[in-house]
Amino acid sequence: MSKLARAFQPNRVVDSSTTGLIFLFWAGTALLLWFASPWKTLPTPHEIWVALGHLWWSGGMGPEMFSTLKLIAHAVLLTTVISLLLSYATIIAFFRPVVAMTSKLRFLGLTGLVFPFTLMTGGGYTLKVALLTFGMTSFFVTSMAQVVIEIPRAEFDHMRVLGSSELRIFWEVVVRGTLDKALDVLRQNLAMGWAMITMVEGISRAEGGVGAMILDQNKHFNLAEVYAILVVILILGLTMDYAMGALTNIVCPHAALGRVQR
Amino acid sequence: MKATAGEVLLDVKDVKLSLGGGKILDGVSFQVIDWIREETTTGQVVSLLGPSGVGKTRLLRIMAGLDAPDAGTVHGKDKAPLEAGSVGVVFQDYPLLRHRTVEDNLQLAGKIGGLDAAAASKRTQELLKTFALTERATFYPAQLSGGQKQRVAIAQQLVVPRQLLLMDEPFSGLDPAALEDVMKLLVDVANLHELNTIVVITHDIRAAMAVSDTLYMLGRDRKPDGTLIPGARIQATYDLVALDLAWRTDVQTLEAFVILEREIKAKFRTL
Repeated sequence: MSKLARAFQPNRVVDSSTTGLIFLFWAGTALLLWFASPWKTLPTPHEIWVALGHLWWSGGMGPEMFSTLKLIAHAVLLTTVISLLLSYATIIAFFRPVVAMTSKLRFLGLTGLVFPFTLMTGGGYTLKVALLTFGMTSFFVTSMAQVVIEIPRAEFDHMRVLGSSELRIFWEVVVRGTLDKALDVLRQNLAMGWAMITMVEGISRAEGGVGAMILDQNKHFNLAEVYAILVVILILGLTMDYAMGALTNIVCPHAALGRVQR
Repeated sequence: MKATAGEVLLDVKDVKLSLGGGKILDGVSFQVIDWIREETTTGQVVSLLGPSGVGKTRLLRIMAGLDAPDAGTVHGKDKAPLEAGSVGVVFQDYPLLRHRTVEDNLQLAGKIGGLDAAAASKRTQELLKTFALTERATFYPAQLSGGQKQRVAIAQQLVVPRQLLLMDEPFSGLDPAALEDVMKLLVDVANLHELNTIVVITHDIRAAMAVSDTLYMLGRDRKPDGTLIPGARIQATYDLVALDLAWRTDVQTLEAFVILEREIKAKFRTL
């Protein structure tokens, strides 16, 4: 079977050169569709490039990006601390209902919570951090609590027969043993944070941010500018995603070893 | 080789266990005795034989101090109830800390067992050498073969010497060559001095016979109509020392071994 033919067979491993070819094919197809698109709502790459230049040099995009990155970093830090504490707490029966309840809150839309959160935080930057943290925490806890629950009993027993204390078992098996998965969950939640940012920054536009910029450009129907901002968000998100993947490989080199190649 | 019975290392008395309303163990009693052989200080291997699903692993968990029986007692050498951590246990799937290297796994066992960092490191290096794992010291468990994992799991239990080492199905799923290696490894471990006695939980009759000095057969009784009665207990004991079938490298070639194997197999089918 030729290398290329394997790319069309289910559950086949393909080499790196074939993977590169597949990627190029789809990237080319996407670009072709973009250039040849009959939809007037989709600006051309050139229009987006020009709009990006305007936004960067005269639209204050740099400071807005910094504002968004600061907001995301703040919310991610809070989310990580709160979510990990809650997820690890699932090993204690007393806290399980709290964890389950937090997880269920993911079904609540953020829009409905703006008013109570405004009253609690006084609005502005604190409100945005609170909303983003709330939105991400409910999803983070759902995934991470599941990771903790699914630790096989054998791993706890193994430490017990070595004579380990429960506190050490918690550290080795629950915290260190799931660190790679926690980083992976964080990686997914970071993406979720970027998806929520437009809405959250739209609530209080005074502090700006790329989300507020999108809404402003939307209002004036500046589609090229809107797409330019989306491209920037995509690039920033992908860069962070790549950085998180690299961090996981450095901190948890064993994680990649367990992955099955298909 | 002459041998005399020494002190009792493990005393399992009338252990009963039910799960979900069904009887699993119904009065399991047996002892592991410290055999003293002339001109040698080598340890011993005791096997607990039984068909799949009879409750062997449940009994191992009770002996390891991980689970409490509904009734009965399990005492160690000092006549104190065995607690988790007082005996070494090598589980069937050789769980190791996947985020630690082979060396780290061993050192951690030393630190948990009360050794200081230098002593844990020294002991680790000794065991890596003994178990031919020096070249794998920096490997993570995911990078090891099944046999290597088993060796690391055994070595980890030996970092801090303990009287007993319980092993759950060490012969399971091995090809003939690997089986020979594991049998030799078990005898070598028993002869390391640090650990006097290994208790092997298995359903592999031939391998158990080849490495053990005593065999206990765990199984259920049958009604006159042939149906099994829930709740296993010790159905037979084979003293291979008395039969002169223990501690011999050529044991599998002896006619007495083959006859006994046939007898045990026949008994095994009824349990």
